[in-house]
Amino acid sequence: MSVYLNGKLVEHPHEDHHHVSPVWQFTAVFIVLLFLTILTYLVSFAGLGAASLPVAMFVATIKASLVIAFFMHLFYEDRTFAFLFMTCFIFVAIFFTFVLFDMNATDAMNEEGGIQYKKSVEDDAAEADANRAFDAPGPAKSRY
Amino acid sequence: MSTTAHKDEERPWFLAHHFDTVGQQVSSAKLGMWLFCCTEVLMFSGLFLAYFILRQMYPEMVLVASEELNKTAGGVNTIVLLTSSFTMALGVRAAQTNNQKALERNLLLTIACAFIFMIVKYFEYTSKIEHGFLPGNWYSAAEHGYMLPKYSRVFFGVYFTMTGLHGVHVLVGIGVLSWIFIRARRREFSSENYVAVECAGLYWHIVDLVWIFLFPLLYLVK
Repeated sequence: MSVYLNGKLVEHPHEDHHHVSPVWQFTAVFIVLLFLTILTYLVSFAGLGAASLPVAMFVATIKASLVIAFFMHLFYEDRTFAFLFMTCFIFVAIFFTFVLFDMNATDAMNEEGGIQYKKSVEDDAAEADANRAFDAPGPAKSRY
Repeated sequence: MSTTAHKDEERPWFLAHHFDTVGQQVSSAKLGMWLFCCTEVLMFSGLFLAYFILRQMYPEMVLVASEELNKTAGGVNTIVLLTSSFTMALGVRAAQTNNQKALERNLLLTIACAFIFMIVKYFEYTSKIEHGFLPGNWYSAAEHGYMLPKYSRVFFGVYFTMTGLHGVHVLVGIGVLSWIFIRARRREFSSENYVAVECAGLYWHIVDLVWIFLFPLLYLVK
C-alpha cells in the first residue's frame, strides 16, 4: 500500500516523525516578543511622526513572523502549509492595494463629475448650521 | 495491500476509519486548520482595510481620537496574550513529550490569560461607554464634556468592531481550550495523538496574531 502526503510518497507510512521544539527556543521567542512589545509601547510616547506607522507595522510584522514560524510551528511543518498561508497574504495585499488605489483615484474623478461624498454633504450642512446659529439674533445657541 | 483484518489490528483507537495512517489524519487536520486560519486572516483584513481607509480620509481625527484609548491597558493585554501564546506552545510541546501534568497546567494557564484579557477589556469598554465614546448614533462624547474632532464616532465604530470581533474570538478560544482541557483530563492525548491540541493552539495563536496588529494600530498610532 502506498501512502501519499501532500503530494509526496511516504516511505514508512506507519512511522510518525514529530519535530519537537526545545523549550529554550519558545522562551527565546517569548522574550523577543516581550522586548518588541515594550519597545513599541515606549516609542509611542516619543512619537515618530510620519515614520510611526511604517515602524509600528514593521515591528508588528516581525512579531507576527516569530509567532507563525515558532509558536505555530510553521517553520518545521511541510512546506504545503507555509505555501497555503503565505498565499492568503498575497490575496490580502491585492485587496489592500487595489482598494487604496481606487480610494485615491476616485477622489478627483468624483470632484470632476460633481459627485458629493456623504462626508462633504454633512460638512456643508454643519457649516450652514453653525453660520445660522452665529447670525441668529438672541443668545448664542450652542452647537452641542 | 495487506488484509483488512491485519490492518485493523494495527489501527490505534484514535485513527478515524476513513484514514489509512495517522500521518494522513494529522496532515488533513492541519490542512483544514491552516485553511481556517487563512479565512480568519482574510476576515480581519477587511476590518484593517476599513481602518486604513478611515486613517487616509481623516488622518488628524484618528490621531486625536485614538489618544482617548488607554495605552497601558492595551499594552498589558498584549503581554497577557503573548504569555498565553507562550503557554499554549509549551502545552503542545507537553503533549508531544507525553507530559500530562505540564499539558494540563499550560492549558489552564492559557485559559486564565484569556480571562485576564477579557477582564481588562471589560474595564476598557466600561470607561469608553461612560465617556460616551460609542460608535455611530450612540456617540455622545460632547455631552460628557469631551471635544473630539468631527467623525470621531467613526473611529470608535472601527475600534469597537475590531476589538469586539477579536474579543468574540477570545471567548470562543476559552470554550475551545476548555474542551481540549477536559479531553486532556481524560488522558486522550499522547505523543502519538495530539493534533487536536495543536489545532486549538493554531487557533489561539491566530487570535494573538490579530492582536499584535490591532494594538499598535489602534492604541499607538501617534
